[in-house]
Amino acid sequence: MSRPRGKKRTKPIVGDKGKEIVENMDENDPVLVMFRSYSSALDEKHDRYERIIKQSRDITIESKRIIFLLHNTNTDIESKKAGIIEEAETRLKALVDTNFSTIANELKNEDSYQYHRAYTAGLQEFIEAYAFCQYIKKEDISNWNVMNQLFQFTNDENEKCSLLFPQYDLVLGLADFTGELMRRSINTLGVGNVKECFKLCNFVRHINTGFLGLMTPGNREISRKAYVLRQSLAKMELVCYNIQIRGSEIPKHMLISVIESSNLDEGEDEGYF
Amino acid sequence: MCTPNKIIADIFSPFQEYVNSEQDIREEIRKIMKDVEKPLREIVTLLQIIHHDNNCEQVHSACLNARKMFDDVRQGFDSLDKIVPSGQYYRYNDHWRFATQRLCFLAALIVFLEKGIMINKETTADILGVNGKLNIHLDLEDYLMGLLNLASELSRYAVNSVTYGDYDRPLQISKFVAQLNAGFRLLNLKNDSLRKRFDALKYDVKKIEEVVYDLSIRGLAQTPGQGESSEN
Repeated sequence: MSRPRGKKRTKPIVGDKGKEIVENMDENDPVLVMFRSYSSALDEKHDRYERIIKQSRDITIESKRIIFLLHNTNTDIESKKAGIIEEAETRLKALVDTNFSTIANELKNEDSYQYHRAYTAGLQEFIEAYAFCQYIKKEDISNWNVMNQLFQFTNDENEKCSLLFPQYDLVLGLADFTGELMRRSINTLGVGNVKECFKLCNFVRHINTGFLGLMTPGNREISRKAYVLRQSLAKMELVCYNIQIRGSEIPKHMLISVIESSNLDEGEDEGYF
Repeated sequence: MCTPNKIIADIFSPFQEYVNSEQDIREEIRKIMKDVEKPLREIVTLLQIIHHDNNCEQVHSACLNARKMFDDVRQGFDSLDKIVPSGQYYRYNDHWRFATQRLCFLAALIVFLEKGIMINKETTADILGVNGKLNIHLDLEDYLMGLLNLASELSRYAVNSVTYGDYDRPLQISKFVAQLNAGFRLLNLKNDSLRKRFDALKYDVKKIEEVVYDLSIRGLAQTPGQGESSEN
């Protein structure tokens, strides 16, 4: 930080002439009046944007926590698992009812696309958590139409309003969601659940196939996430391969250590084995 | 249990359709913008005459011609209004933002050359033909960007008018840009492209003031920097 004294010399100084004009300008000068109205319009827009960003950040944080919670479902005790899913569902519902409905209300009379950038991150993170929760519960995820129903609200004045939910956010959220599946597949090995591991791998394969079949010109975000997805899938496929080839040699509960050690040196020469 | 193609059929196929229809609209918008950009370039070329010649008549007729060319621009925006789906201005706005900013600049320049006053947003929207449209409008930030571009052009104009012996013009420009500067100081700009562009305004202000200074110390300016800068 520069001290207030250390003024930058490169900055041109508004000369006397200019200052004089500014000072002599009438408060009711049409130009100033004009700009004052622009100023309030700009402020309103920026404030709204900031408020939405704040909601989006809260959504992101809570979604991450829900995902973390859902990783604990990796247990043999069914009742515990059901309890966790129930808690996750309640918290997801709470996100929709508070944060998302606040955003929808903010955007009631606006062009939502103008503010979409402010909440897309939160929305994608939410989709990730939501899909993860659904998958753990019933090994399936809903389509866009079903999920879009989540974002239809009726506000206090009984007016209907809906939050813009572009399909891009669904697909991008699903790409992140595969990362969680990868983590889960490693965790399932920890409890020796080999079957689950193969199942997860298969599911991610389908999502990857979906991404491979997409034509989305000019959308860098999609290709970037598809790349990460392929890396996760490669890791999972390697795990499945290891289970298959060494599974009979080692007791199930030891598998995880084998996988982890092979994952370590997987770095450079992935396909060597 | 998830059957092999369920996730594809359920999620990825509808998504691909969604992307395709979006691409179709983008393609149409691109076509329309080509029709808008053609008169845009022509007007830019036409108005460059202010740097070549100090002939009032010629500048005047250039303005008239430019205004005529805006007919094509208005026609373009007319068809754009029909293509852009309701409430989705900002979904596709990338395609026309830059051209709109340039057009705002041109409209502002024409009004300055004709009347010496600063154009307001309403008039700009009228000239561009986006006023009172259903699905498109003039974005405030595009208009402001246009004004900032005008300041750069005017700093060049100030220098060149001196070359051609018009010593009053720089004074008028200096006053105009000072007003503009004062106006922008009323805005709370975020750290975005408009802010960056505004930060460059001081260099234009400086340039114009140097020109005025050069004129004043040689006694060439009619109103040498002391007070009474009220004439237009």
